Amino acid sequence: MIWDTWKKGFDAWENATAKYTEHWMKSPLVLGPTGALLGGAMKAKAAYDKAASQWVGSLGMATKRDQERALHTLNQLESRLLDLEERLVDATTSHKKD
Amino acid sequence: MNPFAKLAGMVTKPKPPVGTTPADVIHRENKWRLLRYRPAAGSAGPRFETPVLLVPSLINRHYVMDLLPGKSMAEDLVKAGHDVYCLDWGTPGDEDRHLTFDDVCDRYLGRAIRKVAKLSPRGKTHVLGYCLGGTMSTIHAAVHQEHIASLLVLAAPVSFEGEVGLLETWTRMPSFNVGDIVEAFGNVPWQLMQSAFTMLRPTLALSKAVHVVDKAVKDDPINANKWEEFSEGFRALETWGNDNVSFPGACYVRYIEELYRKDSLMKGTFTLSGKAARLEKITVPTMCIVFEHDNIVPWQNAAVLVDQIGSTDKELLKLPGGHVGAVVSRGAQKALWPRMSAFWAKRDADVKVRVTAEHGHANGHANGHTNGAAVAAEPASAPAMPPPPRAKKAKKSPTRSGGR
Repeated sequence: MIWDTWKKGFDAWENATAKYTEHWMKSPLVLGPTGALLGGAMKAKAAYDKAASQWVGSLGMATKRDQERALHTLNQLESRLLDLEERLVDATTSHKKD
Repeated sequence: MNPFAKLAGMVTKPKPPVGTTPADVIHRENKWRLLRYRPAAGSAGPRFETPVLLVPSLINRHYVMDLLPGKSMAEDLVKAGHDVYCLDWGTPGDEDRHLTFDDVCDRYLGRAIRKVAKLSPRGKTHVLGYCLGGTMSTIHAAVHQEHIASLLVLAAPVSFEGEVGLLETWTRMPSFNVGDIVEAFGNVPWQLMQSAFTMLRPTLALSKAVHVVDKAVKDDPINANKWEEFSEGFRALETWGNDNVSFPGACYVRYIEELYRKDSLMKGTFTLSGKAARLEKITVPTMCIVFEHDNIVPWQNAAVLVDQIGSTDKELLKLPGGHVGAVVSRGAQKALWPRMSAFWAKRDADVKVRVTAEHGHANGHANGHTNGAAVAAEPASAPAMPPPPRAKKAKKSPTRSGGR
């Protein structure tokens, strides 16, 4: 009984609080500074990564970005080969039908 | 049982067995896999001609569609006689920051659809897309629908204007620079996205905790297993909800810039691999299911699909419930999944073929579908799983590799 009463009170509080926070989460007063802060942090991280990458690159080693690009190219090559395989199978099938 | 013992049991129990329906991997490419669920032991195999491909969201694990034994959408569909496939997007690596929306939505999804369609005597597959998976399936269907027998989308946003949710508001902020995030992280970290989802309703975690205590306090004298059932379902859903994947960077930039900010799919300016993705080009039978209390995809943003597509055989189903619960709950198992199964069963073969088989002539245009858009309410009672149109021999799974 006590629990049920408390639960009803909690649900009412939770609903009201959720509506209140949603209102603020849409407010430009909150979103503007939050977005700027997030953007600033991202720019700082990107700048740090770039500096670290340049240093690694200056030692003549492949940077993380270089490795990512190489791996991505390999994945793309795999996909292109699979495309080709599909087209060959289709062409062979239609040739047999003819 | 003592509520404290129940709650302690929840914490100490091992991870629930999620995604355990037996499946074979029939294709692998980069990180994604195409799974084919095995027919239930002792069954005669799929009874329907056209297979079903499940396309989950890119940022969540596929096993939301195969949550728990006895409470799994995939398992139930297999039991109902469907040949069920699922696209598991996998976990993107750092190099996948360069993966574009076209790569994912055209090349990968297209290949999955073609692979499944080729294994079907009809050369087509039903496609079920959930959330972002539904959006991608819709975009794909708007460009290539030759291998799609029907499209069923669950809580899939297609419009990003009008009824504006918090996510739309945040992504449209001028101070939110998508490029900065991708430049800094490569792939958009799942932690960042998880935080955003948490901020949609910051009190939700507390509310869930109170709900669990409430369930533990209230004993059900009729059904002693009710707590166990609830506890396992809750833990499975939490396991899935906290097991997210990062979003490939280049793909995310296009998703936000084109869809969220420019609403280009609705405006007809979106392109997939250089080809215009126009919703009115979708003419396959389509069912659009939306959820009234969905705070991630407001139902209006998903329901608008039926007004835009060119299909004459289309249906809109608005159900109560939220984005996830309404799809995986016990209620969904009783009402939603059988309804989906019935939709596919009715469209198992091409209309002309079916008419020929049933009436001995091929020139009829009559069909048994619901023509025109119709808003249907949740059925009072669950429709029964549809009867199989024909018995087919069990197909041997053309696997390339073993189980999961």
